[in-house]
Amino acid sequence: MSTRQSRTLIVENASICCAECKKSIAPAGTSWKSAAALTRTRVIDIPGSTSSTHPDVEIRHFSCPACGALLDSETALPEDPFLDDILTSK
Amino acid sequence: MDPITFSIIRHRLYRVVEEAVITLKHVSGSAITNEGHDLMVSLYEADGTLLLGGVGFLHHLTSAAEACKSIIRRFEGDVHEGDLFLLNDPFTAALHTSDIYLVSPIHYKGELIAWSACFVHVYDIGAMNPGGFAPEAQDVFSEGFSSPGLKLVDRGDLRQDIWDTLLNMVRGPEMVALDLRSMIACNNVAKDRMISLVEKYGLPTFQETCKTLVAQSETRLRERLLEFPDGSWESRQYFDVKGEVYKVLLKMTKKGDELIFDFTGSSPQSKYSVNCTKWASLGGLFAPLFPLLCYDITWNEGVIRPIKVIAPEGSIVNCTKPSPVSVATVGAIQSVNNAACTTIGKMLASHEKYDDQTSAVWHANHFAVFMFGKNQKGGDAIGILTETFAGSGGARTFADGVDIGGEIPNPISRMANVETVEAMFPVRYLFRRRLQDSGGGGEFRGGTGGELALVPHDAPDGGLHYVLSGKGSKFPQSEGLAGGNPGAINDYVWVHSPDAEQGHNCFSQSLSSIPGEKEAISWGVFPLMGNDALYVRWNGGGGVGDPLDRDPHSVLLDVTNQVISIDAAREIFGVQIQGQSLDVDGTTNLRTSLRKERFATNGGK
Amino acid sequence: MGDGTKTYLVATDVGGTCTDTVVFAVGEPVILGKALSTPPDFAHGVLDSIKSAADQMDITVEELLARTSLFVHGSTVVDNAILTRGGAKVGLLTTQGFEDTLLVTRGGYGRWAGLTEERMKNMVKTDRAAPLVDRNLIAGIPERTDYKGAIIRELDEDATRGAIKELVGQGVEAIAISFLWSFYNQKNELRAQELVKDIDPSIYTSISSHIAPTPGEYERTSTTVINAYAGDIARNYIENLADLLKNNKYAGPVMIMQGYGGLLLASEAANRAIGMLECGPAAGVIGSKALGELLDQKDVIATDMGGTTFKVSVIQGGQIEYAREPMIDRFHYTQPKIEVVSIGAGGGSIVWIEEGTNIPRVGPRSAGSRPGPVCYGLGGDEPTLTDVFMLIGYMDPKIFLGGSMNLDKEAARKVFDAKIAKPMGLSVEEAAYGIFRVATAQITDLIREITVERGLDPRDFVMHAFGGSCGMVSSTFGAELGVKKIVVPYTASVNCAFGLISADIVHEYSVVKTLPMPSPLSEFPPLFDPMKEKALKVLADEGFSGDKVILDWSVDLRYSRQVHEVTTPLKSILPLTKEGLERLSHDFETLYERKYGKGSAFREAGIEMTQFRLTARGLMSHPDMSPSPKFGEDSSKAVVGRREIFVEARSAMVESDIYDFTLLQTGNVIVGPAVIHTPITTIVVQDRQRGIMDEYRNIVIELG
Repeated sequence: MSTRQSRTLIVENASICCAECKKSIAPAGTSWKSAAALTRTRVIDIPGSTSSTHPDVEIRHFSCPACGALLDSETALPEDPFLDDILTSK
Repeated sequence: MDPITFSIIRHRLYRVVEEAVITLKHVSGSAITNEGHDLMVSLYEADGTLLLGGVGFLHHLTSAAEACKSIIRRFEGDVHEGDLFLLNDPFTAALHTSDIYLVSPIHYKGELIAWSACFVHVYDIGAMNPGGFAPEAQDVFSEGFSSPGLKLVDRGDLRQDIWDTLLNMVRGPEMVALDLRSMIACNNVAKDRMISLVEKYGLPTFQETCKTLVAQSETRLRERLLEFPDGSWESRQYFDVKGEVYKVLLKMTKKGDELIFDFTGSSPQSKYSVNCTKWASLGGLFAPLFPLLCYDITWNEGVIRPIKVIAPEGSIVNCTKPSPVSVATVGAIQSVNNAACTTIGKMLASHEKYDDQTSAVWHANHFAVFMFGKNQKGGDAIGILTETFAGSGGARTFADGVDIGGEIPNPISRMANVETVEAMFPVRYLFRRRLQDSGGGGEFRGGTGGELALVPHDAPDGGLHYVLSGKGSKFPQSEGLAGGNPGAINDYVWVHSPDAEQGHNCFSQSLSSIPGEKEAISWGVFPLMGNDALYVRWNGGGGVGDPLDRDPHSVLLDVTNQVISIDAAREIFGVQIQGQSLDVDGTTNLRTSLRKERFATNGGK
Repeated sequence: MGDGTKTYLVATDVGGTCTDTVVFAVGEPVILGKALSTPPDFAHGVLDSIKSAADQMDITVEELLARTSLFVHGSTVVDNAILTRGGAKVGLLTTQGFEDTLLVTRGGYGRWAGLTEERMKNMVKTDRAAPLVDRNLIAGIPERTDYKGAIIRELDEDATRGAIKELVGQGVEAIAISFLWSFYNQKNELRAQELVKDIDPSIYTSISSHIAPTPGEYERTSTTVINAYAGDIARNYIENLADLLKNNKYAGPVMIMQGYGGLLLASEAANRAIGMLECGPAAGVIGSKALGELLDQKDVIATDMGGTTFKVSVIQGGQIEYAREPMIDRFHYTQPKIEVVSIGAGGGSIVWIEEGTNIPRVGPRSAGSRPGPVCYGLGGDEPTLTDVFMLIGYMDPKIFLGGSMNLDKEAARKVFDAKIAKPMGLSVEEAAYGIFRVATAQITDLIREITVERGLDPRDFVMHAFGGSCGMVSSTFGAELGVKKIVVPYTASVNCAFGLISADIVHEYSVVKTLPMPSPLSEFPPLFDPMKEKALKVLADEGFSGDKVILDWSVDLRYSRQVHEVTTPLKSILPLTKEGLERLSHDFETLYERKYGKGSAFREAGIEMTQFRLTARGLMSHPDMSPSPKFGEDSSKAVVGRREIFVEARSAMVESDIYDFTLLQTGNVIVGPAVIHTPITTIVVQDRQRGIMDEYRNIVIELG
């Protein structure tokens, strides 16, 4: 029995899994981003940015380590921690 | 309660608010109220609880409730039929001094039964810069007239001494007088209509309806909250003022049928006027909460009850007096909007049923460009560039964001026609269009923002000046959802023309082709003179989902329509375009390799 | 012309559902014809409708038309083309740098305009309508006019030719041209139009400075695009109609109704597709105005309740008001157009229960005529207002549409019980009364809104009730609003067609110019004289001169620091004198304060004149409605039965008299509560009201 955690993640057998390939990423109810594949891109390098953009601010893309499906993204300065979305029930 | 009578009275209450809004717009006749819809009218119960909030700038629904409550406390025993109160102190309830609340008690047969409240962004409030946004203010004492509550009308009689004192302190007192008169008329209409309603149905039925309305909203929101899993979702907003970086951190926790918004960890208050007070933060988080979570629930106190807010004192989202706050509404308040929009969006996305109600962040970065000077006819030209109200829509899970499609905290905003601006101000637009590559990438892309350029035209003084304030150009703020990218950031460029003489006309069609040195600006008072140009670009909405999943034909169409560049098509969306058509195989290969790159280096960690 | 003794005036109005005809001859009763409309070409329906009238006269269509001296027409064909997206492939030439104007709709404006507040609140689910022109068919042309009409960048003819060829290569059938500030200087638009004709004369062109010469480039461009989109459709429709009539022996002129309530000769109307938008409702308002003039009523609230919508407009002191921000479907446009507001509350409006609150609601969804109300027995399974009218005794199942259709009351009752009464925990009767109240309350609120918007009090007005369902409801919402009199006209269900024969030829002209008040008197003749000259010439060519011509001048004014403009009638004779100008200023201020409230004027900033208008009218001979002689008050001969009907004031079903309209005579009085069945509609007279048949066979309800 799997339940939805987000558009890209499901919870199955007490694990947070990739909704696409169903492989487990982290235990349910925990922070999963450290277990995901991380790509970091400086915003200033993305088409559409201007030279006023902060040189360090980045977009972090978190993907499934097994199949590469994109799971989540966040804007961050490198020194800032990952944003955590943690479900504690269902 | 009899569902028929309830249905009719509820419908009538909405009409009370609508008629009051029409009155407000009619009497004021100002551009900011009629075009920008920078207004709000709402109704409150006798104890100040929010009964019914209408469309308008949603930040104000809860702060006006606090305004009512603080008036009740301050004037206890001294509230009479025919009174009207004014409040604009941000540390008491208002968002910033320019947004004046006028609050009226409504009496029926001698008994206090309700309140009506309205606000407009007044023409000027006597701050150190004209128009109400004062980037140069170092404390609230330089931000103009401010009152924690005064009685402007006493039992039907206008207090002339207060009226004259207030108008004595502002620029353009006749225009401010008009703003105030429109709010007085608005409250009078609300009062008349409410009394007619009570007369028709009787006080007990009316009061029962109010209680039911509020209870219903609370029940329905709590029921909805129970549908979502318990958990916490985090968001973070960066912005900058003159090189200083600020963060608004939010952890939204849902437990059962309650929602807690915790802003612990947000930056300490700033010396610049981007701070917001506790009331502004509350308003800021309800602004997206109402349309996103309560799209089919009456917006009132019932919706507020299941919500708790933690905002550390002394932080940028709960600043202490005398921190300057005049730029709050395009500053930290909006960061609170955006942060709340993100966490609520993520919670909505955690449930299949609400998948099509979630959204990436819309137009996260308002800009206040307030122009002043002499117009072509030698009269005064004063006003805000309304493009900030044009906004950009965040992507949905079933469609792109609406290009230049508005903003969440104000459901009915729009911008003026180019011709309207060129008639009122001594300027000429070189262009005004959608901004390429500004919509955040995603399976569904964010709506584009826009770009414009202005040059002086027929200005008797050679041009005019403008006050610029906002959240800067360094950080994207329209966050994406489910992997989507944020919309691109604002930028403001002062082009210093190499040609000192007037008289030649520029028809450049892009920033880069306007001749002259480009200076990026973001905060302060600047001239627009001679052959110089002012270029403004504003942010797109956030995207939803994986850009590599976007239908390649949609990407091709976007490229054809010039809202996405060929580079972006390739780098962000993995789409190869050959001439005017899709290179299908090239796209498949590129997307496969881009996907591989994501987990190649640290796959199987 | 047949036996040469009778000449007829025939008016046919093509609506979304029905095509109505009114045939008028001096000294004869008015003949009403009705048939179903036949989209998308509508022509069949026109003939069917005329035949329906001719049948009643025992003559053929050809015999009728051979003796017809004037044919007047209104049609929903252009509205329909927009709504069904059946127009031409359009290209747009616009000032370089502003190609996105049409698509961006001034920001969220195009996303939220036209939506109910309820829908607006759910922002995630709102969208703009797909535009009528794709971005790749919009060409930015190097040219520029400034705010004072000076051309600061000449039209780049090579670039223009290139753009036109590109559009033609893409297969466009029509080209709209809209440049910034063109209403002050047409030069560049006119030249661009010539270039299109040079390259491909078959392309339909429309330029903004001709079709909508007013400030505001978004609305102006949108208008021009809509006109180009529907241009050929309107042209072909009108030409085919003229041929159709000719082939059926009609030899007279054809006149076409416009959205501002006036007629144009077919040849001119054929070039102004956009003028036909909403001409049906406009005709309805003209009909109400004419009825008001007949009955000496200058202040009228005109209400029209059809199958899907409830429409209201206000006539004040005999004057009709123009809409400020008109829309068709979800598109903005700018044309003089009569202001009519509407809500989704018609006979076919679906009654439903709100999820989560259990609150009963009416509309805006409609069951239309197919599947229609449950009682129609055509497969409708959702209860509608018509079903409610059945259940509260207002409609008789056996006499609908003159007895041609039997209604199934039991089916209505069953479905209503299951879907509405039971979920609310009420009996069918209580629920039905309740829904009736909810619907009338919604209508009352709408009417209050439109009158309050203009600073008016409904109690000062007479109400006219048009449309199939209005007669059953007006006596209730009229009472709630406090009106003293309601007129349910004899021609209630074909009011739009009736309005057509009451209309005049009207040409609207305007010139945009901003002038401070006061301005030197020499400023005005150059504005007024060219319009006057043009109007007189055009009317003369159409056969109107002397006392058959009325020139109504008006000026749009505003306070310089405020946005609201008021179109103020210019009452003094031209040329304008100092006194005349003062009078205009004074009238403006009076109107402004009346509409926008006391203390709303910021006079110190000064007053500006922004637009100068001429409404040039060619007076048509209108049929004299010959009054019938009066009989007595005794209406008992018209009573055909008794049954229980819902009496609002007593919250109960009360046994009441049922009248047959065709048996009533002028002067008869009907004491409420009572129901009057006419061949086409039903009229309900409530408790403590009196219905009187007047000399024109209208039912006038006097409220206590």
